[in-house]
Amino acid sequence: MVPALVNAALGGLLAAALLGRAFDRQAVALVVGAAVVPGLGSAAGVALGWTAAAAVQAVWLPLLAALVLLVDTRWRERSVLRTRHGWRGVRVAWVALASASVAGVAPDLFNEPGVPLLYPLESVRYTVDGLLLYSTQEGVVQTLLTGGDTPGVLPLAGTEGVSGMTDGPPETIAIVETGWQAVVVATGALTLSLRFAGFGGGRRDVAATRAAGETTGTTETTGTTETTGTTETTETTAEDR
Amino acid sequence: MVSTLVHAGFALVVAAGLLGDAADRRALGAILLVVVLPEADALLGPIYPGAHRTVGHTTVLPVAAGLLLYYDTQRREHSWIRARVADRWIGVAWVALVVHLTAHVALDWTHLEGVNLFWPLRDAFTSLDGALTWSLADGFVQTFVDVRVDPATGQTRVGTDVTGTRASVHVNNPVEPDDPAALAEAEVVDRRFPVAGRGWRLYLLGLGLFTVVARRLQRAPPAEE
Repeated sequence: MVPALVNAALGGLLAAALLGRAFDRQAVALVVGAAVVPGLGSAAGVALGWTAAAAVQAVWLPLLAALVLLVDTRWRERSVLRTRHGWRGVRVAWVALASASVAGVAPDLFNEPGVPLLYPLESVRYTVDGLLLYSTQEGVVQTLLTGGDTPGVLPLAGTEGVSGMTDGPPETIAIVETGWQAVVVATGALTLSLRFAGFGGGRRDVAATRAAGETTGTTETTGTTETTGTTETTETTAEDR
Repeated sequence: MVSTLVHAGFALVVAAGLLGDAADRRALGAILLVVVLPEADALLGPIYPGAHRTVGHTTVLPVAAGLLLYYDTQRREHSWIRARVADRWIGVAWVALVVHLTAHVALDWTHLEGVNLFWPLRDAFTSLDGALTWSLADGFVQTFVDVRVDPATGQTRVGTDVTGTRASVHVNNPVEPDDPAALAEAEVVDRRFPVAGRGWRLYLLGLGLFTVVARRLQRAPPAEE
Protein backbone atom coordinates (compact mmCIF):
# COMPACT_ATOMS: atom_id res chain seq x y z
CA MET A 1 0.00 0.00 0.00
CA VAL A 2 1.29 3.42 -0.94
CA PRO A 3 0.77 5.86 1.98
CA ALA A 4 -2.06 8.38 1.60
CA LEU A 5 0.38 11.30 1.75
CA VAL A 6 2.10 10.00 -1.39
CA ASN A 7 -1.26 9.66 -3.18
CA ALA A 8 -2.04 13.23 -2.13
CA ALA A 9 1.30 14.54 -3.43
CA LEU A 10 0.82 12.79 -6.78
CA GLY A 11 -2.72 14.20 -6.96
CA GLY A 12 -1.30 17.67 -6.25
CA LEU A 13 1.20 17.30 -9.08
CA LEU A 14 -1.55 16.23 -11.49
CA ALA A 15 -3.74 19.14 -10.33
CA ALA A 16 -0.95 21.62 -11.05
CA ALA A 17 -0.19 20.03 -14.41
CA LEU A 18 -3.71 19.50 -15.71
CA LEU A 19 -6.13 22.04 -14.20
CA GLY A 20 -4.93 24.89 -16.41
CA ARG A 21 -7.03 27.99 -15.86
CA ALA A 22 -9.26 26.13 -13.39
CA PHE A 23 -6.33 26.03 -10.94
CA ASP A 24 -7.34 27.47 -7.58
CA ARG A 25 -7.51 26.36 -3.95
CA GLN A 26 -10.93 24.76 -4.21
CA ALA A 27 -10.17 22.79 -7.37
CA VAL A 28 -6.82 21.59 -6.00
CA ALA A 29 -8.48 20.46 -2.76
CA LEU A 30 -11.01 18.44 -4.78
CA VAL A 31 -8.37 16.81 -6.99
CA VAL A 32 -6.09 15.97 -4.05
CA GLY A 33 -9.07 14.60 -2.14
CA ALA A 34 -9.95 12.36 -5.10
CA ALA A 35 -6.40 10.94 -5.04
CA VAL A 36 -6.69 9.92 -1.39
CA VAL A 37 -10.14 8.29 -1.46
CA PRO A 38 -9.39 4.90 -3.13
CA GLY A 39 -6.41 4.13 -0.88
CA LEU A 40 -8.20 5.10 2.33
CA GLY A 41 -11.34 3.24 1.28
CA SER A 42 -9.44 0.09 0.54
CA ALA A 43 -7.36 0.36 3.73
CA ALA A 44 -10.52 0.80 5.80
CA GLY A 45 -12.04 -2.22 4.05
CA VAL A 46 -8.97 -4.35 4.80
CA ALA A 47 -8.85 -3.24 8.45
CA LEU A 48 -12.54 -3.89 9.01
CA GLY A 49 -12.53 -7.13 7.06
CA TRP A 50 -15.07 -5.70 4.64
CA THR A 51 -14.15 -7.42 1.37
CA ALA A 52 -16.51 -5.45 -0.90
CA ALA A 53 -14.43 -2.31 -0.26
CA ALA A 54 -11.95 -3.78 -2.75
CA ALA A 55 -14.29 -2.45 -5.43
CA VAL A 56 -12.96 1.10 -4.90
CA GLN A 57 -9.68 -0.02 -6.50
CA ALA A 58 -11.20 -1.92 -9.42
CA VAL A 59 -11.33 -0.44 -12.91
CA TRP A 60 -15.13 -0.38 -13.11
CA LEU A 61 -15.87 2.79 -11.11
CA PRO A 62 -13.41 4.99 -13.06
CA LEU A 63 -14.64 3.51 -16.35
CA LEU A 64 -18.25 4.21 -15.39
CA ALA A 65 -17.40 7.75 -14.29
CA ALA A 66 -15.52 8.40 -17.54
CA LEU A 67 -18.47 7.09 -19.52
CA VAL A 68 -20.94 9.30 -17.64
CA LEU A 69 -18.69 12.34 -18.14
CA LEU A 70 -18.26 11.59 -21.84
CA VAL A 71 -21.98 11.12 -22.44
CA ASP A 72 -22.85 14.26 -20.50
CA THR A 73 -20.23 16.62 -21.90
CA ARG A 74 -19.78 15.41 -25.47
CA TRP A 75 -22.88 13.61 -26.68
CA ARG A 76 -25.81 15.27 -24.97
CA GLU A 77 -27.32 18.40 -26.38
CA ARG A 78 -27.23 20.21 -23.05
CA SER A 79 -24.63 19.01 -20.57
CA VAL A 80 -25.87 19.08 -16.97
CA LEU A 81 -22.35 19.61 -15.66
CA ARG A 82 -21.56 22.43 -18.06
CA THR A 83 -24.85 24.23 -17.48
CA ARG A 84 -24.36 24.14 -13.73
CA HIS A 85 -20.60 24.64 -13.35
CA GLY A 86 -19.40 25.79 -16.75
CA TRP A 87 -16.12 24.92 -18.45
CA ARG A 88 -14.40 24.92 -15.06
CA GLY A 89 -16.69 22.21 -13.72
CA VAL A 90 -15.99 19.94 -16.66
CA ARG A 91 -12.23 20.44 -16.37
CA VAL A 92 -12.18 19.84 -12.61
CA ALA A 93 -14.32 16.70 -12.99
CA TRP A 94 -11.98 15.16 -15.56
CA VAL A 95 -8.85 16.00 -13.58
CA ALA A 96 -10.39 14.65 -10.36
CA LEU A 97 -11.23 11.40 -12.16
CA ALA A 98 -7.68 11.19 -13.53
CA SER A 99 -6.35 11.89 -10.05
CA ALA A 100 -8.46 9.17 -8.41
CA SER A 101 -7.29 6.53 -10.87
CA VAL A 102 -3.74 7.64 -11.77
CA ALA A 103 -2.66 9.11 -8.40
CA GLY A 104 -5.05 7.11 -6.22
CA VAL A 105 -5.17 3.55 -7.55
CA ALA A 106 -2.30 3.17 -10.02
CA PRO A 107 0.58 3.62 -7.50
CA ASP A 108 -0.74 0.62 -5.56
CA LEU A 109 -0.59 -1.51 -8.70
CA PHE A 110 3.21 -1.16 -8.61
CA ASN A 111 3.46 -2.09 -4.94
CA GLU A 112 2.56 -5.07 -2.76
CA PRO A 113 -0.16 -6.25 -2.17
CA GLY A 114 -1.41 -4.91 -5.50
CA VAL A 115 -4.80 -3.91 -6.85
CA PRO A 116 -7.88 -6.08 -7.52
CA LEU A 117 -8.35 -4.62 -11.01
CA LEU A 118 -11.26 -6.81 -12.08
CA TYR A 119 -13.01 -7.29 -8.72
CA PRO A 120 -15.79 -8.51 -8.27
CA LEU A 121 -15.48 -10.57 -11.48
CA GLU A 122 -12.45 -12.28 -9.97
CA SER A 123 -10.75 -12.02 -6.58
CA VAL A 124 -7.15 -11.48 -7.63
CA ARG A 125 -4.79 -8.69 -6.64
CA TYR A 126 -2.42 -7.75 -9.46
CA THR A 127 1.04 -6.27 -9.10
CA VAL A 128 3.41 -4.88 -11.70
CA ASP A 129 6.84 -4.86 -10.15
CA GLY A 130 9.74 -5.98 -12.23
CA LEU A 131 12.42 -4.64 -14.48
CA LEU A 132 12.58 -3.68 -18.09
CA LEU A 133 15.98 -3.10 -19.68
CA TYR A 134 18.04 -3.60 -22.79
CA SER A 135 21.24 -5.55 -22.35
CA THR A 136 23.93 -5.77 -25.04
CA GLN A 137 24.40 -9.43 -24.12
CA GLU A 138 20.84 -10.60 -23.45
CA GLY A 139 18.68 -8.24 -25.49
CA VAL A 140 15.44 -6.99 -23.98
CA VAL A 141 14.99 -8.30 -20.45
CA GLN A 142 11.62 -7.85 -18.78
CA THR A 143 9.90 -9.34 -15.75
CA LEU A 144 6.77 -7.17 -15.81
CA LEU A 145 4.45 -9.44 -17.74
CA THR A 146 4.22 -13.06 -16.72
CA GLY A 147 3.36 -16.24 -18.57
CA GLY A 148 0.14 -18.22 -18.27
CA ASP A 149 0.61 -19.69 -14.78
CA THR A 150 -0.86 -16.76 -12.84
CA PRO A 151 -4.14 -16.90 -10.92
CA GLY A 152 -5.80 -14.02 -12.79
CA VAL A 153 -7.02 -13.44 -16.35
CA LEU A 154 -4.55 -10.63 -17.04
CA PRO A 155 -0.91 -11.56 -17.84
CA LEU A 156 0.36 -9.89 -14.67
CA ALA A 157 1.67 -11.29 -11.42
CA GLY A 158 -1.17 -11.74 -8.98
CA THR A 159 -2.25 -13.26 -5.71
CA GLU A 160 -5.54 -14.95 -4.97
CA GLY A 161 -7.89 -13.23 -2.53
CA VAL A 162 -8.67 -9.56 -1.95
CA SER A 163 -9.36 -9.39 1.75
CA GLY A 164 -5.69 -9.05 2.71
CA MET A 165 -4.75 -8.99 6.37
CA THR A 166 -7.63 -9.15 8.82
CA ASP A 167 -5.67 -8.49 11.99
CA GLY A 168 -7.60 -5.31 12.62
CA PRO A 169 -6.14 -1.82 12.26
CA PRO A 170 -2.32 -1.69 11.88
CA GLU A 171 -0.33 -0.53 14.89
CA THR A 172 2.08 1.63 12.95
CA ILE A 173 0.89 3.88 10.16
CA ALA A 174 3.39 4.53 7.37
CA ILE A 175 3.46 8.17 6.32
CA VAL A 176 6.40 7.83 3.93
CA GLU A 177 7.91 4.39 3.30
CA THR A 178 10.96 4.98 1.12
CA GLY A 179 13.34 7.61 -0.21
CA TRP A 180 11.57 8.03 -3.56
CA GLN A 181 8.26 8.59 -1.79
CA ALA A 182 9.89 11.32 0.29
CA VAL A 183 11.07 12.97 -2.93
CA VAL A 184 7.59 12.75 -4.46
CA VAL A 185 5.99 14.25 -1.34
CA ALA A 186 8.52 17.09 -1.16
CA THR A 187 8.21 17.80 -4.89
CA GLY A 188 4.42 17.85 -4.74
CA ALA A 189 4.43 20.22 -1.78
CA LEU A 190 7.02 22.47 -3.45
CA THR A 191 5.12 22.57 -6.76
CA LEU A 192 1.82 23.50 -5.14
CA SER A 193 3.36 26.14 -2.89
CA LEU A 194 5.22 27.75 -5.80
CA ARG A 195 2.03 27.80 -7.88
CA PHE A 196 -0.05 29.27 -5.06
CA ALA A 197 2.68 31.86 -4.52
CA GLY A 198 2.05 33.02 -8.08
CA PHE A 199 5.10 31.44 -9.67
CA GLY A 200 4.61 29.94 -13.13
CA GLY A 201 1.15 29.03 -14.41
CA GLY A 202 1.35 31.53 -17.24
CA ARG A 203 -1.01 31.66 -20.17
CA ARG A 204 -0.92 29.51 -23.27
CA ASP A 205 -1.01 32.69 -25.32
CA VAL A 206 2.74 32.55 -25.84
CA ALA A 207 2.94 35.17 -28.55
CA ALA A 208 1.47 37.84 -26.30
CA THR A 209 3.78 36.89 -23.44
CA ARG A 210 6.77 36.99 -25.72
CA ALA A 211 5.75 40.38 -27.09
CA ALA A 212 5.38 41.59 -23.51
CA GLY A 213 8.79 40.18 -22.65
CA GLU A 214 10.50 42.14 -25.40
CA THR A 215 9.45 45.44 -23.94
CA THR A 216 11.56 46.20 -20.90
CA GLY A 217 9.48 48.00 -18.26
CA THR A 218 6.85 46.32 -16.11
CA THR A 219 4.33 49.11 -16.70
CA GLU A 220 4.57 48.56 -20.43
CA THR A 221 4.04 44.82 -19.91
CA THR A 222 0.78 45.47 -18.12
CA GLY A 223 -0.15 47.85 -20.91
CA THR A 224 0.34 45.25 -23.63
CA THR A 225 -1.92 42.68 -22.05
CA GLU A 226 -4.60 45.08 -20.86
CA THR A 227 -6.78 44.24 -23.83
CA THR A 228 -7.07 40.57 -22.86
CA GLY A 229 -8.87 41.08 -19.55
CA THR A 230 -8.16 42.03 -15.97
CA THR A 231 -7.66 38.60 -14.40
CA GLU A 232 -5.03 37.72 -16.96
CA THR A 233 -3.18 40.94 -16.43
CA THR A 234 -2.68 40.10 -12.77
CA GLU A 235 -1.41 36.69 -13.75
CA THR A 236 1.15 38.17 -16.08
CA THR A 237 2.41 40.60 -13.48
CA ALA A 238 2.76 37.81 -10.96
CA GLU A 239 4.79 35.84 -13.48
CA ASP A 240 7.05 38.77 -14.30
CA ARG A 241 7.95 39.34 -10.70
CA MET B 1 21.07 4.56 -12.24
CA VAL B 2 17.44 5.44 -12.04
CA SER B 3 16.78 5.24 -15.75
CA THR B 4 17.02 8.49 -17.67
CA LEU B 5 13.55 7.79 -19.05
CA VAL B 6 12.15 7.70 -15.52
CA HIS B 7 13.75 11.07 -14.76
CA ALA B 8 12.26 12.42 -17.96
CA GLY B 9 8.80 11.09 -17.07
CA PHE B 10 8.76 12.62 -13.59
CA ALA B 11 10.33 15.81 -14.96
CA LEU B 12 7.45 16.21 -17.43
CA VAL B 13 4.87 16.10 -14.63
CA VAL B 14 6.72 18.58 -12.41
CA ALA B 15 7.53 20.91 -15.31
CA ALA B 16 3.92 20.90 -16.53
CA GLY B 17 2.81 21.51 -12.95
CA LEU B 18 5.09 24.50 -12.46
CA LEU B 19 4.54 26.04 -15.88
CA GLY B 20 0.78 25.47 -16.04
CA ASP B 21 -0.57 26.85 -19.28
CA ALA B 22 2.85 28.12 -20.33
CA ALA B 23 4.00 24.52 -20.80
CA ASP B 24 4.16 24.22 -24.57
CA ARG B 25 6.29 21.81 -26.54
CA ARG B 26 9.35 24.06 -26.78
CA ALA B 27 9.42 24.87 -23.07
CA LEU B 28 9.02 21.23 -22.05
CA GLY B 29 11.67 20.18 -24.58
CA ALA B 30 14.15 22.71 -23.23
CA ILE B 31 13.52 21.57 -19.65
CA LEU B 32 13.93 17.90 -20.58
CA LEU B 33 17.28 18.75 -22.13
CA VAL B 34 18.46 20.43 -18.90
CA VAL B 35 17.29 17.45 -16.86
CA VAL B 36 18.74 14.72 -19.08
CA LEU B 37 22.08 16.25 -20.18
CA PRO B 38 23.82 15.96 -16.77
CA GLU B 39 23.48 12.20 -17.18
CA ALA B 40 26.33 12.57 -19.67
CA ASP B 41 28.72 12.78 -16.72
CA ALA B 42 28.88 8.99 -17.17
CA LEU B 43 30.98 9.70 -20.28
CA LEU B 44 33.59 11.38 -18.09
CA GLY B 45 33.92 8.22 -15.99
CA PRO B 46 36.81 6.66 -17.93
CA ILE B 47 38.98 9.80 -17.63
CA TYR B 48 37.78 11.09 -14.25
CA PRO B 49 36.99 8.14 -11.94
CA GLY B 50 33.70 8.45 -10.09
CA ALA B 51 32.46 11.23 -12.37
CA HIS B 52 29.01 9.70 -12.80
CA ARG B 53 26.64 10.93 -10.09
CA THR B 54 29.30 13.50 -9.17
CA VAL B 55 29.84 16.12 -11.88
CA GLY B 56 26.28 16.26 -13.22
CA HIS B 57 24.50 15.31 -10.03
CA THR B 58 25.91 17.83 -7.57
CA THR B 59 23.60 20.47 -6.16
CA VAL B 60 26.40 23.05 -6.17
CA LEU B 61 26.30 23.79 -9.91
CA PRO B 62 22.49 24.24 -10.18
CA VAL B 63 22.46 26.43 -7.06
CA ALA B 64 25.31 28.52 -8.45
CA ALA B 65 23.43 28.82 -11.75
CA GLY B 66 20.34 29.91 -9.82
CA LEU B 67 22.28 32.58 -7.92
CA LEU B 68 23.77 33.91 -11.16
CA LEU B 69 20.35 33.95 -12.80
CA TYR B 70 18.90 35.80 -9.80
CA TYR B 71 21.74 38.32 -9.69
CA ASP B 72 21.64 39.01 -13.41
CA THR B 73 17.88 39.25 -13.89
CA GLN B 74 16.84 40.83 -10.58
CA ARG B 75 19.75 42.78 -9.13
CA ARG B 76 21.62 44.26 -12.08
CA GLU B 77 20.47 47.42 -13.75
CA HIS B 78 21.07 46.08 -17.25
CA SER B 79 20.54 42.34 -17.30
CA TRP B 80 22.75 40.48 -19.75
CA ILE B 81 20.20 37.67 -20.05
CA ARG B 82 17.10 39.87 -20.36
CA ALA B 83 18.76 41.66 -23.26
CA ARG B 84 19.05 38.35 -25.09
CA VAL B 85 15.99 36.21 -24.35
CA ALA B 86 12.29 36.86 -23.79
CA ASP B 87 11.10 37.00 -20.16
CA ARG B 88 9.22 33.77 -20.67
CA TRP B 89 12.48 31.86 -21.07
CA ILE B 90 13.79 33.20 -17.78
CA GLY B 91 10.76 31.59 -16.12
CA VAL B 92 11.47 28.40 -18.03
CA ALA B 93 15.09 28.49 -16.80
CA TRP B 94 13.92 28.73 -13.18
CA VAL B 95 11.56 25.81 -13.70
CA ALA B 96 14.35 23.80 -15.36
CA LEU B 97 16.59 24.29 -12.31
CA VAL B 98 13.86 23.23 -9.88
CA VAL B 99 12.92 20.23 -12.03
CA HIS B 100 16.54 19.14 -12.36
CA LEU B 101 17.03 19.27 -8.59
CA THR B 102 13.83 17.36 -7.84
CA ALA B 103 13.21 14.93 -10.70
CA HIS B 104 16.86 14.15 -11.35
CA VAL B 105 19.24 14.82 -8.43
CA ALA B 106 16.79 14.06 -5.62
CA LEU B 107 15.52 10.85 -7.24
CA ASP B 108 19.08 9.57 -7.78
CA TRP B 109 19.84 10.55 -4.18
CA THR B 110 17.42 7.81 -3.07
CA HIS B 111 18.89 5.13 -5.34
CA LEU B 112 21.87 2.79 -4.74
CA GLU B 113 24.86 4.74 -3.40
CA GLY B 114 23.15 8.07 -3.94
CA VAL B 115 24.84 11.17 -5.35
CA ASN B 116 27.85 13.33 -4.56
CA LEU B 117 25.62 16.18 -3.34
CA PHE B 118 28.13 18.92 -2.54
CA TRP B 119 30.95 18.10 -4.94
CA PRO B 120 33.36 19.90 -5.49
CA LEU B 121 32.98 21.60 -2.09
CA ARG B 122 32.86 18.31 -0.26
CA ASP B 123 33.56 14.90 -1.77
CA ALA B 124 31.06 12.53 -0.21
CA PHE B 125 28.37 10.38 -1.77
CA THR B 126 25.24 10.39 0.38
CA SER B 127 22.03 8.46 -0.05
CA LEU B 128 18.55 9.22 1.19
CA ASP B 129 16.73 6.21 2.51
CA GLY B 130 14.37 5.63 5.38
CA ALA B 131 10.76 5.90 6.42
CA LEU B 132 8.42 8.12 8.40
CA THR B 133 5.88 6.31 10.52
CA TRP B 134 3.39 7.12 13.22
CA SER B 135 2.17 4.84 15.99
CA LEU B 136 0.29 5.35 19.20
CA ALA B 137 3.21 3.96 21.20
CA ASP B 138 6.12 5.87 19.62
CA GLY B 139 4.51 8.84 17.90
CA PHE B 140 6.32 10.07 14.80
CA VAL B 141 9.51 8.19 13.95
CA GLN B 142 11.74 9.06 11.00
CA THR B 143 14.85 7.25 9.79
CA PHE B 144 15.89 9.47 6.87
CA VAL B 145 18.23 11.77 8.73
CA ASP B 146 20.61 10.53 11.42
CA VAL B 147 21.08 12.69 14.44
CA ARG B 148 24.06 11.24 16.26
CA VAL B 149 25.90 12.57 19.25
CA ASP B 150 29.56 11.64 19.33
CA PRO B 151 30.09 10.19 22.84
CA ALA B 152 33.73 11.33 22.96
CA THR B 153 33.41 14.94 21.88
CA GLY B 154 29.76 15.58 22.58
CA GLN B 155 29.35 17.00 19.06
CA THR B 156 26.10 16.38 17.21
CA ARG B 157 26.27 15.12 13.65
CA VAL B 158 23.21 15.51 11.48
CA GLY B 159 22.99 14.02 8.00
CA THR B 160 21.90 11.27 5.65
CA ASP B 161 23.90 8.08 5.11
CA VAL B 162 27.38 8.66 3.70
CA THR B 163 28.27 5.88 1.29
CA GLY B 164 31.81 6.91 0.32
CA THR B 165 33.82 9.32 -1.79
CA ARG B 166 34.45 9.77 -5.50
CA ALA B 167 37.40 7.39 -5.20
CA SER B 168 35.47 4.61 -3.47
CA VAL B 169 31.99 4.79 -5.04
CA HIS B 170 31.24 3.68 -8.55
CA VAL B 171 27.62 3.72 -9.70
CA ASN B 172 27.16 1.36 -12.63
CA ASN B 173 26.00 2.88 -15.90
CA PRO B 174 26.01 1.87 -19.58
CA VAL B 175 29.40 3.53 -20.16
CA GLU B 176 31.00 1.73 -17.23
CA PRO B 177 28.64 -1.13 -16.37
CA ASP B 178 30.86 -2.38 -13.57
CA ASP B 179 33.67 -1.27 -11.32
CA PRO B 180 36.53 -0.02 -13.58
CA ALA B 181 38.94 -2.60 -12.09
CA ALA B 182 36.53 -5.48 -12.76
CA LEU B 183 35.80 -4.11 -16.23
CA ALA B 184 39.47 -4.20 -17.22
CA GLU B 185 39.55 -7.93 -16.58
CA ALA B 186 36.13 -8.85 -17.96
CA GLU B 187 36.00 -10.78 -21.23
CA VAL B 188 32.49 -9.82 -22.25
CA VAL B 189 31.08 -6.47 -21.24
CA ASP B 190 27.34 -6.50 -20.68
CA ARG B 191 26.05 -2.96 -21.05
CA ARG B 192 22.57 -2.59 -19.62
CA PHE B 193 20.27 0.27 -20.59
CA PRO B 194 17.43 0.29 -18.08
CA VAL B 195 13.93 1.48 -18.91
CA ALA B 196 12.64 0.86 -15.40
CA GLY B 197 14.26 -1.20 -12.68
CA ARG B 198 11.28 -1.36 -10.35
CA GLY B 199 7.54 -0.99 -10.62
CA TRP B 200 7.42 2.49 -9.08
CA ARG B 201 9.92 3.77 -11.63
CA LEU B 202 7.77 2.45 -14.44
CA TYR B 203 4.91 4.28 -12.72
CA LEU B 204 6.74 7.64 -12.76
CA LEU B 205 7.58 7.11 -16.44
CA GLY B 206 3.93 6.35 -17.16
CA LEU B 207 2.81 9.37 -15.11
CA GLY B 208 4.86 11.65 -17.38
CA LEU B 209 3.41 10.11 -20.54
CA PHE B 210 -0.11 10.33 -19.10
CA THR B 211 0.35 14.03 -18.29
CA VAL B 212 1.49 14.87 -21.81
CA VAL B 213 -1.29 12.87 -23.48
CA ALA B 214 -3.95 14.28 -21.12
CA ARG B 215 -2.84 17.85 -21.85
CA ARG B 216 -3.14 17.16 -25.57
CA LEU B 217 -6.70 15.88 -25.15
CA GLN B 218 -7.81 18.88 -23.09
CA ARG B 219 -9.99 21.51 -24.66
CA ALA B 220 -9.05 25.15 -24.37
CA PRO B 221 -11.29 27.24 -22.13
CA PRO B 222 -13.89 29.34 -23.96
CA ALA B 223 -12.76 32.91 -24.57
CA GLU B 224 -15.31 34.54 -22.25
CA GLU B 225 -14.11 32.72 -19.08
